Amino acid sequence: MDKNRQRHILECLAAACMIVALNFAFGHPAGAADKVVKVGNIIPLSGPSASVGQQGKNARDMAVEEINAAGGIESLGGAKIEMLYADSESKPEKGVAEAERLINTEKVNVLTGCWNSAVTYPVTAVAERYGIPFIVPVSVADKITEQGFKNVFRIAAKDSWWTRDQFAFLKDMQAEFGGDVKRLAFVYENGDWGKGFAEQWKKLAQEGGYEVVLDEPYPSTATDLSPVVQKIRRANPDVLLLVSNAADAILLTNTLAEYQVNLKAIIGSGGGHADPSFLQATGENSRYLFDIVEWETDINKPGAKEANEKYKAKYGQNLTGEAVDAYLAMYVLKDALERAGSLDPGKIREALAATRLDSGPGMIVGYDSVEFDESGQNKNASLVIVQVNDLGSGFERITVWPKGARRAGYTPVFPVPQK
Amino acid sequence: MTRRSINQSACLLVAVLALGLPLVMRSATYLHILILLYFYAYLTTSWNLVGGFAGVLPLGHAAFVGIGAYTSTILYLQYGVSPWLGMLVGGILATLVGILIGLPTFKMRGAYFALATIAFAEGIRVMIENIDRLGPFVINGPRGLQIPPLKLGLSNFMFAVKEPYYYIILIMLAAVLLLTYCISRSKLGYYLNAGGEEPEAAMALGVNVARAKLIAMAMSSFLTALAGTFYAQFTLYIHPKSVVSLDLSFEIAFIALIGGRGSIAGPVLGALLLRPVSDFSRIYFGDTVPGLHLIIFGVVLILVMLYQPRGLQEPLTRLYNRLVDRLAGTEGGEASA
Repeated sequence: MDKNRQRHILECLAAACMIVALNFAFGHPAGAADKVVKVGNIIPLSGPSASVGQQGKNARDMAVEEINAAGGIESLGGAKIEMLYADSESKPEKGVAEAERLINTEKVNVLTGCWNSAVTYPVTAVAERYGIPFIVPVSVADKITEQGFKNVFRIAAKDSWWTRDQFAFLKDMQAEFGGDVKRLAFVYENGDWGKGFAEQWKKLAQEGGYEVVLDEPYPSTATDLSPVVQKIRRANPDVLLLVSNAADAILLTNTLAEYQVNLKAIIGSGGGHADPSFLQATGENSRYLFDIVEWETDINKPGAKEANEKYKAKYGQNLTGEAVDAYLAMYVLKDALERAGSLDPGKIREALAATRLDSGPGMIVGYDSVEFDESGQNKNASLVIVQVNDLGSGFERITVWPKGARRAGYTPVFPVPQK
Repeated sequence: MTRRSINQSACLLVAVLALGLPLVMRSATYLHILILLYFYAYLTTSWNLVGGFAGVLPLGHAAFVGIGAYTSTILYLQYGVSPWLGMLVGGILATLVGILIGLPTFKMRGAYFALATIAFAEGIRVMIENIDRLGPFVINGPRGLQIPPLKLGLSNFMFAVKEPYYYIILIMLAAVLLLTYCISRSKLGYYLNAGGEEPEAAMALGVNVARAKLIAMAMSSFLTALAGTFYAQFTLYIHPKSVVSLDLSFEIAFIALIGGRGSIAGPVLGALLLRPVSDFSRIYFGDTVPGLHLIIFGVVLILVMLYQPRGLQEPLTRLYNRLVDRLAGTEGGEASA
């Protein structure tokens, strides 16, 4: 080997060493003079869930702009919140790598994210390991808060609470309006989603002392659901609970009307019943139908209308359940930071755990306050139930439950008048 | 100064540097990069026992990483077995699998052996991706397994900081290097070398080439599986794409080929030169060009194969020897290396 080549290799090595050394020297700017709270946000900004991730980002940005404009965090001398966004692409491994980077390189004080339960789940472990509080505005998988971790705080209701709230609603309605409900029918699409709901319904029905008169899974690709509807009619239930995708929700509703099946109430589970095409395709047939959702724009809470208008003006869309949870998450964080009076993640965690937020711009959700239980789940979180009705301006979804969030001046129709 | 004392002090210097690095380097990110560098150096050194000394080209070592990672993780999650013990169980399991693959495939030559090992490793990956439960064991398919970092500490092989991982993988690397050194000077080492270069001639001389290769394969798969457990405990989250991917198998082979297979220093040098390329391309180019580092590796590999077919360790060793000669004051030349 000639000397030139050796020299060349040496030079290359020396250059590489220099680069590494420079990185060490300048990689970490000394703590900035102004106090800022660094919040790392891992959300899907590209890939299959990009649109919902963008809503989460918009809502966060709106809340943080408001907080910073109003003087930042007072107890930290007016510290501003600085948002750092990382794209998870809905991939768990990407989420984990970004969490490592945000914590170790960017030195964030708090993490939030990640919408996709599959991403949130492994990120909880990263946050737990480094002791960084991790606020989860919405990721529904139950297991996220069932690992015994101390640093995860979920704001939205978890999966199993959807069915819980459907039954709570049923009970409240009977208490408020009478209408003895005894016999339940479960009709659901035969995928993971429907079967999961049905399993919990059965448990809840037993606990609530109801009689299950029909338990009927159906393929959601079916083009004719009259056999199912015939079964419902024969079983003669008081209340019908449904889990349906878009096309089958429409088909079921129209077929039920065609056969004039008399029911005291029909309760949907979001999905197809919440699809914008549903109301158009069913019209009169969907009158008085109940459906469960995360949030509805007509919710009767101070500030909700204004927040929605502001959001719509800024981003051209209505607020969604996901966006509202993200918006609220920032105010939960602000509240905790005010009480913590410190940037130390451990202190912020303590403050978050002691959260009792029942007012402020963020509280535009259906329930009345945010409090976390031992596992970090917001124990007051609940869903919202709407009723489809026409109040003179076409069929719309009207919030009826929880009672505190009911649209002003509206009285739910329960039980539904018999045909 | 004699050559011997220079060599000894060079070794000492490297040891002190490696041991002291975490004390001066406080950045978790750089420590993370270094840990992965050692991890790859370890993996490649283990691979080298078969891929280097035995003269075949296995391209499915990720399967053993996966076996190690999944075995210890499942044992820990479901039965509370310490990952240290799980590590050994995983190693033993991988050894058995390694022998099972080795028995039929060592009869193959060149590319056929490489293809067979790829097929095998991919088979394992597809299996794991499609199985949620295997008997009593929860595998969780493509979603992978998560180890909750609730009981931190040495006995659970779980730490909140990176330093313990750094020292564990450093010790593992040192141990496997020492083992390689001993093997290369043992009868087995000579058998492997002879069998790798001229199998017919070696067999004619009465060397049981197949047996030597199988022993090498068994050791290699055992050691590789240990690294799998290390990786699982380091990241606390494993899934088929992270621990059984073809990328991982290829990266190991790339590092060995570029560094210099069949030599002791080759894998370490390869990892030292290539891992930063991969890490920095990931940091600076992000995922705009996923897999960019493998393309860079490919280009480097072609250049190295053209100009330094024995890997980069050869010119570097020569350089080192010349340096030692100059320091020792004896212009002894390269023959004495």
